[in-house]
Amino acid sequence: MREFLPRPSIAPAATWAFPAPRRARLSNDIELMIFDLPGQHVISGHLVLEVPLNSERRDIEGVATICARTLDEGTTRHNGEEFAELLETEGAGFGVDLSLSGAQIVLDVPASHLDRALELFADAVIEPSLADRDVNRHIQLRLAEIEQAQANPAQAASIAFRATVFEEARRAARMNGGEPETVRHVTPEEVAAFHHEHFGPAGATLILAGDFTADPMAIAERSLGSWRNDVQRQVTIEAPAPGTRRTLLIDRPGAVQADVRFGSFGIDRLDPRWAPISIASYAMGGAFLSRLNAVLREEKGYTYGVRMNFGPLRTGGSFAVQGSFRTEVLVDALATTRELITVDETPFTSQEVNDAVAFFTGVSPLRYATAEGVADQAATQVLAGLPDDYVDRSLALLRSVTPESATEAYRSIVHPDELTLVVVGDAERLAEPLRASGFTDLEVRPPTPNQTHT
Amino acid sequence: MWDMTPGALAGLGYPIVQHALANGLRVVSSPDHLAPSVAVNIWYDVGSRDEEEGRTGFAHLFEHVMFQGSAHVASGQHIGLLQAAGAVVNATTWFDRTNYFETLPTGGLDLALWLEADRMGTLLDALTQENLDNQREVVKEEKRQRYDNVPYGDVMELLNSLTFPPDHPYGHTTIGSMEDLNAATLDDVHSFFRRHYVPNNAVLSIVGDVEPEDAFEHADAYFGHLAPGSKPGKPDAQPLGPLSGLPRTEASGNVPADAVYFTWRLPAHGSRNLDALDLAFSILGHGQTSRLHKQLVRGNEHAEGSGASTMGLIGGNSFGFSYARARDGVSPEQLEQEMVEVIQQLLSDGPTEEELRRAKAQFERHWLHELARVDSRADALGEYATLHGDPHLINSRIAEITAIGDEEVRRVLEQCFRPDQRATLIYRQEG
Repeated sequence: MREFLPRPSIAPAATWAFPAPRRARLSNDIELMIFDLPGQHVISGHLVLEVPLNSERRDIEGVATICARTLDEGTTRHNGEEFAELLETEGAGFGVDLSLSGAQIVLDVPASHLDRALELFADAVIEPSLADRDVNRHIQLRLAEIEQAQANPAQAASIAFRATVFEEARRAARMNGGEPETVRHVTPEEVAAFHHEHFGPAGATLILAGDFTADPMAIAERSLGSWRNDVQRQVTIEAPAPGTRRTLLIDRPGAVQADVRFGSFGIDRLDPRWAPISIASYAMGGAFLSRLNAVLREEKGYTYGVRMNFGPLRTGGSFAVQGSFRTEVLVDALATTRELITVDETPFTSQEVNDAVAFFTGVSPLRYATAEGVADQAATQVLAGLPDDYVDRSLALLRSVTPESATEAYRSIVHPDELTLVVVGDAERLAEPLRASGFTDLEVRPPTPNQTHT
Repeated sequence: MWDMTPGALAGLGYPIVQHALANGLRVVSSPDHLAPSVAVNIWYDVGSRDEEEGRTGFAHLFEHVMFQGSAHVASGQHIGLLQAAGAVVNATTWFDRTNYFETLPTGGLDLALWLEADRMGTLLDALTQENLDNQREVVKEEKRQRYDNVPYGDVMELLNSLTFPPDHPYGHTTIGSMEDLNAATLDDVHSFFRRHYVPNNAVLSIVGDVEPEDAFEHADAYFGHLAPGSKPGKPDAQPLGPLSGLPRTEASGNVPADAVYFTWRLPAHGSRNLDALDLAFSILGHGQTSRLHKQLVRGNEHAEGSGASTMGLIGGNSFGFSYARARDGVSPEQLEQEMVEVIQQLLSDGPTEEELRRAKAQFERHWLHELARVDSRADALGEYATLHGDPHLINSRIAEITAIGDEEVRRVLEQCFRPDQRATLIYRQEG
């Protein structure tokens, strides 16, 4: 019988590049990006609109989200349910995604149905009914959604974290879909006015990716090329600023785990430290055997998983160690985390850097092998103001990272004694032990009340 | 690869080649050279339905233990080595199976096969009490995080118990009982592995930038010397009839809204009847044009959300679900009554031609998405080879669904989707 073979080595990876788009402009100046991807029979379309969330008036934040969610509830041409029925009959899926730097309206449809589906899609974007009844329902559903989010400890922790890590006057400090006190003040008139003033072709980009069965440029021109909006207002994206450091414990009586966010203000992708910090954070809390996961999960069994995550915005960003730990071990888990994230005596090694580079390089062809993956990345690049060859450039930059540059970037951004801590857990069992372990400025907040929305 | 003329839906033609090694390991290859990546995916024909009484949660515990090293691989290094080769790695456990998979640049194919073969052949050489204890703790944290500490986290367990008797293979969840896990000895774990983790109880799919003959040659090089075991028997898969007597249960917790859940016992996956029912569930509760959404979310605004779906299983029966979450001021009893009326209406009218066409169109997009990526295509091949005996079925799914007529849907609705064949769970806000 044959024996086990020795561990095989890895053959060098084939060269790979992010697909290059064909670019064109529609007659109303909408920028068109086409990705021809053979074998991808479901077309992915993203219409990126330059509508940053700071376009919303402060007292009615959430209006952009309500507006976007009501787009497919009927148009002036196809009333009410008829619209969704027509779109679904084409086998199409319609979605919206609102981020701080802009809005995306997304279409997924089998290639042979693109023509008809994009026409319906354009109808929803350009001439939605935004009927009172539908707007009011989406306001109520958004309020219910916030309750659902607050009832989930991981989401509640993220909401409290962003409210602390970003300066409170900035839009970034509040939920993208708006907070209850502003969502409640949104009205159908304000939604219609928001659409009228902010939705338009100026600054818009249409991304289409897949294996086309007909000329996508002609299809795009027919559906969106005649869109005009003479009163469209374009608003400059607001840069976030760092908030005040805090140590917060949000009470969740009886919780069997404590959800943790431990981090601070971060950097964006255009910062020269982006490549080295990507490598460093992968080694610290991205890989399965990262420094944090290897100890807190694999050695100690304290958690199902712990990560260090960097979230870049168009400018600035945030980062956090995040995970949930059983209540009894939280204090030790945090003490261990503090030790592990301090790298003064334990700089990143060349093995860690090599493994991280190999990981990022290796996953790219797969991640961008589908129409969805490519269109999604292209939209991210548009919203972040990045060039078409960003993925290739960024992989090249990652390959130039050294253990020294990773450690230096990390130490310049992650200051373990200056981090904001948010814990969502059982205060009765956690408050005193946390104070005793050195979090002397701990502020305990009562459970988030169940907001009523009648 | 795909003929786009309408009515030619049988035209989906991903290349699929199969080969069985001498030890019974079935290998499925589907070449695709569009990207320099390859997906490796192993389906073991063992899920929570194969667990014995007092040993629940074992199939899932293995999903963890399998990453704790083997004769030539140190603990945690399985993922460590693969990630350093640029791989996305994971594993999942379900009622009917456990799957392990990685997708990586083609140059790492040998490493992936070597690692999978090493743990299939020698896991027990490295499985220590210490590893077992540690992963048991991690599983408990997983249960706390995903089930105990989130709103509605125990719904699946409650629905399981409502739908199947406790000693039925589907009568318990995959996460299992923590008491059973606590009681598990190293010997128990060893015997579970010896019984189920044998080459002739697995399907290896290799999809992507490699030709079938290469895939088979490499599979044989790494797995060919592993000894087969005796093919484990399967639990009784005698179909149970529909539920009767309107079983119901209530639960309460710190949840943001009252909710109503219905469940049904449906025919097994792989039957045309379940496909027809899947379209009916889609018409009832999938998407904005579904009947529940139109009536309860958009219409009278009594629900903040609603849905319905089937969950296909092969052991005699599948599950069917439907749910709605109440808006403030609407009692769950009222919502329950209204859900029953919507279902009753669907039974008496039958689906409209438009509804059926939409449900089929949505299935088509979903299925094309599923097959668009090499990793999910490998998983689909593993599923159809393991559970239905034929990976080629992935190419004919759309044609099969398209062929279902409205009379068939009406007939199966009446057979097993009547409101009096449901079980009900009412979930109330505490306090």
